[in-house]
Amino acid sequence: MSRKIVKAASIILSSAMLAGLLAACSKNEEASLTTAPATPAGSTTPQGPVQLDWLAYNSFGQMDPDTKIEKYVSEKFNAKFNVWFIDTNKWVDTMNVKLAAGEMPDVMLIKPDFNTVSKYVANGVLAPISEDTIRKNAPNYAKLIDKYNLWNTVKVDGKIYGLPSVNINGDYPTVLIWRQDWLKNVGITKTPETLQEFEDALTKIRNNDPDKNGKKDTYGLSDYALPAILGAFGYPGISDFKNAGKGIVNLDYIQKEGKITFAAIQPEMKEALKLLNKWYKAELIDPEFITSENTGGYWADSNALLNNRIALTGKGMFYHWRDKLNPDVPTDKGGGQFQNFQKSQPNGEIAFGKPPVGPNGKSGTIQWGVNSTPIGITTKAAKDPRKVETILKMAEASITDYSYFKNTFRGVEGEEWKEEGGKFVNLNNKTAAENAKKGIAVFHMIESPDWNKKIDAYNYQFGDSVKTTGYVPFLAPTVDSFTKYAVNLTKLTDEVYLKIILGEASPDSFDDFVKKFKANGGDEIEKDVNAAYNKNIGK
Amino acid sequence: MYAHKKSKSDILFLSVVYSVLTVLSIGTLLPFFQILTLSMSPIDVVNSYGFHFIPTSFDFAGYRQVFHNQLIWISYGNTIMRTGLAILLTVTLTFLGAYPLSKKTLPHRTFWTGFIVLTMFFSGGLIPLYMLVKGLGLMNSMWSLILPGAVSTFLLLIVRNFVHEIPVALEESAKMDGANDIYILRKIILPLSMPVLATVALYTGVHHWNAWFDSMLYIQSEKKQVLQMILRKIVLDGDIAAAGTEMAQSAVNTQSMKLATLVVSIIPIICVYPFLQKYFVKGTLIGSIKG
Repeated sequence: MSRKIVKAASIILSSAMLAGLLAACSKNEEASLTTAPATPAGSTTPQGPVQLDWLAYNSFGQMDPDTKIEKYVSEKFNAKFNVWFIDTNKWVDTMNVKLAAGEMPDVMLIKPDFNTVSKYVANGVLAPISEDTIRKNAPNYAKLIDKYNLWNTVKVDGKIYGLPSVNINGDYPTVLIWRQDWLKNVGITKTPETLQEFEDALTKIRNNDPDKNGKKDTYGLSDYALPAILGAFGYPGISDFKNAGKGIVNLDYIQKEGKITFAAIQPEMKEALKLLNKWYKAELIDPEFITSENTGGYWADSNALLNNRIALTGKGMFYHWRDKLNPDVPTDKGGGQFQNFQKSQPNGEIAFGKPPVGPNGKSGTIQWGVNSTPIGITTKAAKDPRKVETILKMAEASITDYSYFKNTFRGVEGEEWKEEGGKFVNLNNKTAAENAKKGIAVFHMIESPDWNKKIDAYNYQFGDSVKTTGYVPFLAPTVDSFTKYAVNLTKLTDEVYLKIILGEASPDSFDDFVKKFKANGGDEIEKDVNAAYNKNIGK
Repeated sequence: MYAHKKSKSDILFLSVVYSVLTVLSIGTLLPFFQILTLSMSPIDVVNSYGFHFIPTSFDFAGYRQVFHNQLIWISYGNTIMRTGLAILLTVTLTFLGAYPLSKKTLPHRTFWTGFIVLTMFFSGGLIPLYMLVKGLGLMNSMWSLILPGAVSTFLLLIVRNFVHEIPVALEESAKMDGANDIYILRKIILPLSMPVLATVALYTGVHHWNAWFDSMLYIQSEKKQVLQMILRKIVLDGDIAAAGTEMAQSAVNTQSMKLATLVVSIIPIICVYPFLQKYFVKGTLIGSIKG
């Protein structure tokens, strides 16, 4: 018996040693492999093209080698690109493995959101960029970020760790879409504007058979319009019910009396939830709202609206629901979701609504905010000042050089687009993956709001004509504690909000929720984020 | 088959079995019909509520998009190649590894078995594996998908135990007739091990047909990706918001394209299964020899 044990022990010991030996071998080999190519790259003659490992784009598809756009950009900046391809859908997982294994691009998007900045800084992925360097090499870009006040989003301990980018669509609030024909059918001529008017309209839609099929099978609204109703009381505590249900972090900061705090725990949300509970009991809210009105297809589609179930939807943008056709483009059929609606309900009509105004005069739908995915310069690139300089010059060019913007963002003139009578005409009707193949939207670094508006002039004019009020997320600096607690706090918030709406918990349980929220990390995040914010603004 | 009359309890039992099986197969087939129908339907049908088992109107835009997508066909080839190669390699290596381990005459047999079992409990984890594959220079090649899992410890042990059960007497009698070890392996052990090797082949085949995670990690070139990876991409790309300009507004009927992709990739497997089924029914469990 004891001999057996000795034997077993010796097997385990010797094999463990063997395994350790093997691991050590492979580690040494690995080290030599990674250090070897680094030396020649660092000591190339300074006048040769600078070599960039490029991941500063949304990789919907892999770029073909030597596209016209790549050649154009390479010549312009005297750079050679090694364009990485990381599947957009599994970006975070793939990057984590690569970064952990010591593989780094020179420049990369920081996904999934700007809160990742602090994580990457802690792990030594991102290098600080001095403000002087940015202002020297990309003055106009820096002015743009000044204008939208986005530096906070990439600062950790007061230092800049990335280049913020701007998405002008975030300047437009998400829209509220009514079934105009239904409103007419129940005798309402003006799209509702106050909470009381909303309640009247939705009640009539529930009870007065707006689709005239003789059955009481219509509801007022489902999950997409809920944030707009919460918004009548103050900044909505949950900005996206569908994603909150999936456990996707969904906590917006607000600034109240000079202090950063969470929208979800504000006392006005208790009043808002009371109202939603009342509406749920009165069957104005579709009982299936928990599983969302979008049961498939593009995220902005509302299957419930398309199938005559509800009368009010939200979440989409003006360009999704554009129901006015561009007279300059004979083939124009309007926004994608408007087209789908027309196919499903050929006789239906929609109207762009306004967010309801609540008891204290507040109102607004969710607005994304212009802050878009920041771009990070890695510690690998920071070793070579030429790389940093080139990257910054590219950022500057995408703001100052209109033809550079058109060529990198929209493709080669004559192939993808032409200019007719001063108007930009798109010749391209391809998917994002097909565009990426040709290098379109691979090398533009920062989108210029002015040029986006110039290129899509009709679209944005329409956007301006239906623009309402919106709630913009407060861009607090990133802190570690947020990354640590945000998932659990989102789950907690989602659960309590849903329970109160469904009547499973009394509205008074909101107070317990606030206590729990604060105790389980809420207070810690608030403390950290306020400290970081004050440091950044130099207080 | 049996001549005698079935008893009442037999009939009851069989009717329960058959009705359960019928319900199960309907439950499996209906969703498939739903996908099949929706894949060839226009967008208003796709977006409407309710069941769609029989197509009422047709729109093959989804299929046109799929057949246009070069990547699907390339990745199809990659997956078939990968699965074929992996089955060949895994079955060979597993068999050649299991046979000696099953022999009592192998020196230090317990040590080697113990060493192999050990790998089942301790693994380096994802990142060391990634670094190893990279260090070996396998990145961006099909070998990075096949070699790391070429021998599955679990399957190796199953084969070892199976071969172990084959009576030594068979080998001894062959030896008396003048056969050498190689000849015995080829002419006696191999044919008798067919059932277990079929199992190994099927396990390996299914695993490699479905795998995508390793392809995502190790393969950088889109043209070398496997089918499941491309499928995932098509299915998920419809959900993410591309830049919200009119460029992204090209009305792509992603839903029916997704479903068409599913159908195109499912059909071949459905065709292969009846042939594989044969080996299974005949018995991976029924041994070739008795007592």
